[in-house]
Amino acid sequence: MSYIEVKGLDYSYTKNKKVLKNIDFSINKGDWVAVLGHNGSGKSTLAKAMVGLIEPSIGSIKIDGLELNQDTVYDIRRKIGIVFQNPDNQFVGVTVKDDIAFGMENLAVPREEMLKRIDFFAKKVQMEKYLDKEPSQLSGGQKQRVAIAGILAMQTDIIIFDEATSMLDPFSREDLMKYIKKLHEEGLTIIMITHDINEALLADKMLILKSGEVFAYDDSHSLMKDKDVFRNSYLELPVALEIANSLTEKKYDSVKEKLWEYVSMK
Amino acid sequence: MNGIIIGQFIPGDGFFYKVDPRSKIAGIFFLMIAVFLLKDIYQVLGALLLTFGLLIIGKISFIKVLKGLKPIFILLIFTFVFQILINRQGNILVDTNLNISLINIGLVIILFVIWRFLAKFKKFNFLLFLGFLFGSIFIFIYSSFSFDYNLTSFNLQIYEKGIEMSIFVVIRLLIIITLSTILTLTTKPTDLTQGLESLLSPLKKIGFNSEDFALIISISLRYIPTIFDEANKIMQAQASRGADFSEGKLKEKLKQVISLLIPMFIIAFMRSEELADAMESRNFVPGKARTRIHELNYSYRDVLVTAFTVVFFAVALLFRLNVLGY
Ligand SMILES: Nc1ncnc2c1ncn2[C@@H]1O[C@H](COP(=O)(O)OP(=O)(O)OP(=O)(O)O)[C@@H](O)[C@H]1O
Ligand SMILES: [Mg+2]
Repeated sequence: MSYIEVKGLDYSYTKNKKVLKNIDFSINKGDWVAVLGHNGSGKSTLAKAMVGLIEPSIGSIKIDGLELNQDTVYDIRRKIGIVFQNPDNQFVGVTVKDDIAFGMENLAVPREEMLKRIDFFAKKVQMEKYLDKEPSQLSGGQKQRVAIAGILAMQTDIIIFDEATSMLDPFSREDLMKYIKKLHEEGLTIIMITHDINEALLADKMLILKSGEVFAYDDSHSLMKDKDVFRNSYLELPVALEIANSLTEKKYDSVKEKLWEYVSMK
Repeated sequence: MNGIIIGQFIPGDGFFYKVDPRSKIAGIFFLMIAVFLLKDIYQVLGALLLTFGLLIIGKISFIKVLKGLKPIFILLIFTFVFQILINRQGNILVDTNLNISLINIGLVIILFVIWRFLAKFKKFNFLLFLGFLFGSIFIFIYSSFSFDYNLTSFNLQIYEKGIEMSIFVVIRLLIIITLSTILTLTTKPTDLTQGLESLLSPLKKIGFNSEDFALIISISLRYIPTIFDEANKIMQAQASRGADFSEGKLKEKLKQVISLLIPMFIIAFMRSEELADAMESRNFVPGKARTRIHELNYSYRDVLVTAFTVVFFAVALLFRLNVLGY
């Protein structure tokens, strides 16, 4: 049996417009799944449904054998952490330290342990010098790091990142990815919503949403070979892959074009 | 508005910084009551000296306390004048007629204009104000022209007791403000709310959840700067599209304020929804037991503060009950 099982999920915010349509997929324990899709395709909505913040109109979500409903939602939330898209509106604490502590306080982690984890995870996201700062004194990327540290510190089995690194500079993002990779190797199940195709390539599997439906769900390497999947779901292929494709088709002019495009974009 | 910090907390390391917020809150609460028990001017003067003593012990500069007084300065003056005019006991000190006449009112208006003009230079504000006040009184008492049209006259009487009472009331206010400044200057907002939470926790028996209460306060504190930032951003966005917030008639101003308030409300609603989601997904369940990262600890300092409060309170009470007297 899979660790996470989503079956026939439907959801709509307003009456006549379905945002999620018949979503079906399952994730094994320890998997790393990237979720891709155009703006408004329903990625964040799906993430919210998985932690029980919204109740699907039809369909079910099972996590670790527990069906998500009113009675199990608190138990399930202990297993899942989620970093939201907007770093401003998830900063609960008055200071960085308070905010990293908030989730642990709710889980009734003993104080000594909390202090240890705050030190450890603040260092992991390079915020150890800012522990006493207030959110209004931080940049967007710094707030994102605090949010990530707060979720990592809860040490859940599953973490959902909803475009959680969008504001990080390339170096800190790489650092953080290395650490997440390590956690993944230690058994963390990761669901990473992202628009960054290179970040998505770190995942074992890709779930592509298009207008609220699962457009494709497969392991990353086999998906990469099928360039139409990306084109049809308004996504961009990695440059290297596009060039490789053109080369195999012997379209040298288009290779040149792609390379120029790439250089001028940077 | 970036980086505004709520409360007047200024980091430092004086005596009161290391006192547990619970002892500080409780202490200041009882000291304030005690101040209201005091009966005459000598007693409040003594209390004022003691309060200044506290400032010296806590290495808190008078200037910072004076700055805290600024917003209620008008209130102080008003109290002072009101007390002087209303009290009619003891020996009469001043008894004179004020002539409210057209020319006198005109003169006072001219004085007012001069005062406001000079005040634009933002120097000696207080002196200027006093100048205006006494100047106006002087005009009303002494200027009278034979051809003037006298509207009415007013009999100004100042009694000994009136002066005493006004000084008494003003000193009492001063003490209370100084005490509360000591509290807010040396206590972080987080510690303040947690102290309050802990002190109010017995109220759980009557259904008041102090933990939720403290959380609400601390989240409000956390979001006030964000909301100011938001207002700033909206104003800039609207200014960049041609709105002018500094000028215009009242009607236009009103329009601008509304055009600011509506987006602010919508944003605040969205924010609060997302914040609730973030809290819930981080396992927050209202009323459930949580551990706390901040720990409150008593030390010998708290014993000192409490002892001071108890003695002060007891003495004030004994004065009140006429057990102690002179
Ligand atoms: N609170 C809400 N109320 C009504 N409609 C909503 C709400 N939140 C999202 N929607 C709508 O649901 C759809 C899916 O939104 P969602 O936030 O899940 O998209 P997304 O895939 O996360 O997009 P993005 O890449 O921009 O983050 C959108 O059409 C959006 O307009
Ligand atoms: Mg989204």
